[in-house]
Amino acid sequence: MDNAPTGSDARTGATLGPLKTWSYLAAQKRRPSEYEIVSVHTLYNNDNAQVPLELAAGVPMNRWYRRYRNESRLRHADWNAFRDPDARVYRSYVAAQDKEEIYVDGLLDQYNALGHDARLAPAWAETLARLYTPLRYLLHAAQMCAAYSVTMAPSSTLANCAVFEMADQFRWVSRVAYRTAELAKAWPGLGFRTGERRRWEEDPAWQPYRMLMEKLLATYDWGESVVALNVVALPAVDAGLRLLADSALEQGDPLTGFLLEAQLKDSARRNRWVRAFMQFAQDQDGSRDAVAEWLAKWQPLGEAAAAAYGEDLPGGAGRAATAIQAMRGLQDTLAAARAAAP
Amino acid sequence: MATLNRADWYDIARDTNWTPRYASVEEIFPDEMSDAFGLTVEQWEAYDEPFKISYREYVAVQSKKDADAYSVKAALARANFFDKAAPGWISILKMHYGAICLAEYIAVLGEAKMARFGKAPGMRNMATFGSLDEMRHTQIQLYFAHENIHKSRQLDWGLKTYHTQNWAGIAGRAMLDDVILGRDAATMSIMLTFALEQGFTNLQFLGLAADAAKMGDYSFSNLISSVQTDEARHAQIGTAALKVLIANGKKAQAQQAVEIAFWRNWRLFFSLTGPAIDYLTPLEHRHQSFKEFVHEFIVAQFERAIEDLGLDRPWYWDFFLDTTNYYQHSGHLELWFLRQTLWWNPAGGVTPAERAWLEEKYPGWNQRWGRLWDVIADNVQHGRQDKLFPATVPMLCNICGLSIGGIPGQGHHVKGHWTDYGERRYYFCSAPCKWIFDIEQQRYAGHKSIVDRLLAGDIQPGTIDGTLEYMGLFPGERGDDADDYAWARSALPPMNDRSAGHADAAAGL
Repeated sequence: MDNAPTGSDARTGATLGPLKTWSYLAAQKRRPSEYEIVSVHTLYNNDNAQVPLELAAGVPMNRWYRRYRNESRLRHADWNAFRDPDARVYRSYVAAQDKEEIYVDGLLDQYNALGHDARLAPAWAETLARLYTPLRYLLHAAQMCAAYSVTMAPSSTLANCAVFEMADQFRWVSRVAYRTAELAKAWPGLGFRTGERRRWEEDPAWQPYRMLMEKLLATYDWGESVVALNVVALPAVDAGLRLLADSALEQGDPLTGFLLEAQLKDSARRNRWVRAFMQFAQDQDGSRDAVAEWLAKWQPLGEAAAAAYGEDLPGGAGRAATAIQAMRGLQDTLAAARAAAP
Repeated sequence: MATLNRADWYDIARDTNWTPRYASVEEIFPDEMSDAFGLTVEQWEAYDEPFKISYREYVAVQSKKDADAYSVKAALARANFFDKAAPGWISILKMHYGAICLAEYIAVLGEAKMARFGKAPGMRNMATFGSLDEMRHTQIQLYFAHENIHKSRQLDWGLKTYHTQNWAGIAGRAMLDDVILGRDAATMSIMLTFALEQGFTNLQFLGLAADAAKMGDYSFSNLISSVQTDEARHAQIGTAALKVLIANGKKAQAQQAVEIAFWRNWRLFFSLTGPAIDYLTPLEHRHQSFKEFVHEFIVAQFERAIEDLGLDRPWYWDFFLDTTNYYQHSGHLELWFLRQTLWWNPAGGVTPAERAWLEEKYPGWNQRWGRLWDVIADNVQHGRQDKLFPATVPMLCNICGLSIGGIPGQGHHVKGHWTDYGERRYYFCSAPCKWIFDIEQQRYAGHKSIVDRLLAGDIQPGTIDGTLEYMGLFPGERGDDADDYAWARSALPPMNDRSAGHADAAAGL
């Protein structure tokens, strides 16, 4: 009886014997990985499409799940079949990120010892106050959007990717906050710590990013939200961060440059699952049509945001167009359906 | 310039609210998802999480904890504890994993809902860690359960319970969905983190950890103690929320949320932990009785917590305290009798020595409960198989999903509680469950217990086998007596030598 699924064999009345793995995974006829054992099919609230929660069908949250998740145009016959290409589980995530954080601590210690912040050019310090430290608002908005993906995901394997994404964004909210406090000490008159909110709310360089994120926060269709966030918005944010890193290195601020590079490593991991997910999710024509429509709607917002921000950076005007071109290429790669993938 | 301390920058990382322009506050924080209390974003900004930790500290501490828990397990794997442990203890492990693993996963989503829709940045950040924590609890417990899956088909229920229509799965979903995802972030912060996590996880996780350590099951003891250290941190999300709500004149509404969730949790946790501590744990390894544990870790701590906040004891408090004398005993009897519907094998736990312990811990136990077990033992001894299983289905409560019962025999005090709503009558186990239903009848209306489904003809064929299969239980995974009824054969002298009282007991049964 080993590896027999619970279904038809059981109905013959035969006594079920022990299995080598969960009956849910036994059907796949190969030895499951640790990732599969602890990640697959751990979400139960997508079993009953009409009444997701064990409450009256009409309670607001049942309506919410039906409308925004189950009736989303992003469809798949079996969301539980999705797998994270990195096979990331909790324990490998915290272990890996602990090492990454040790590296970041090392950067901060090393440049701190060199008196890095005090040696920055005043004009560049002003640029950091205007275009770097307000970043925490943007990243926190991304953290919130990822949190929404967790609550709405139709399978645990997808929700887990979103949990790590949410945590990654919070990681960089924290590091930007840390840098804000350091820079405030080194450059007391520039509005570090006190001026970020106003700049996020008013500075023209941030407004297209702000519009993008606010509109995303108010987008509740699960499929549209996950596609717009991961295929459009976050690559657009990363395009801006790359331009900021280039400027920082040019302006004698290696610390900001290296911190942004460390941040973009998390984005690279995100892009791997997003690409796999987009291939997986577009197995159906309806999903492909929906994705195409959502991209047409969101990509102009993403491009405008990266352009407004990037062109405002020292030396950014000459580089922004190339960066946006690269961003489009990345978005196309991420958005590609399986058949169209190279 | 030295490297900064957390306190130097922590407040900046939770200064992340802004005034939106391209969407309204109501669009970003709709009340139904965010805050049924209707406080403004500015009012929530007074929120101050008492336990502060940074991402950097979190991944350092958690990776160390995980390394410890997994290495203890790996080191002890060779000891083959699972093969040598008492059957009752193995049953506790199966029950625990089946009831807990996927419940943790719904908390992953619940915490994420607070991370998205909480209006306080501090709540959103702490809930981000909370969501990670709950993923840890799901995964590490599934991993531990899976390790022995080749030894028992019943361990499949670690992943399976909540995907089935088993009565316990329905009851678990009904509670979790009511207090977690079925609520807005603010209410959930009270119901999930204050009432469930701060109120009750100690019971299952500390209570069992103590017994597990005494049992020599260091792997499990270490696992669930490690889980509880995370709970102790993120359970404080709700305390800070309650402070904000009370300061803004929402005490009555907050009090009601606490009372709903505390009662719902009590109804499920007593049925899990009560029989485990008082009956399934081998006698020589018992740390304290379930009642003693509840009074030390639930009653005392919860009373202190609500007093500190300026909340009142729940209106049903005296009734709750009284139930700590008998819920676990009626619950255990019920679970044992309905053992075919379980994914674990309940131990009788009523050998003469165990009865002496029960009588000592619960004076009057023999008179109240022991005589019922006498009848069961007598039926075992005389081979009356048909009397070892229920002849009728139990009445199940339309809120908690557990059977409607109480003290049998002379102290019989089972009362009917019901509400007529729409076209049908809903039955409840207790006044608090009826109270919960009546607060928001349309929220719970239409709920069908497994018995409602049987009576409505939803389960076909409506035979015992058909019903068990409907519940996802097939031969080979259905529960049976953990000790193959050995306790019953040794429990009492033959009928004709026994003192009077058994006839009453038979009548009571």
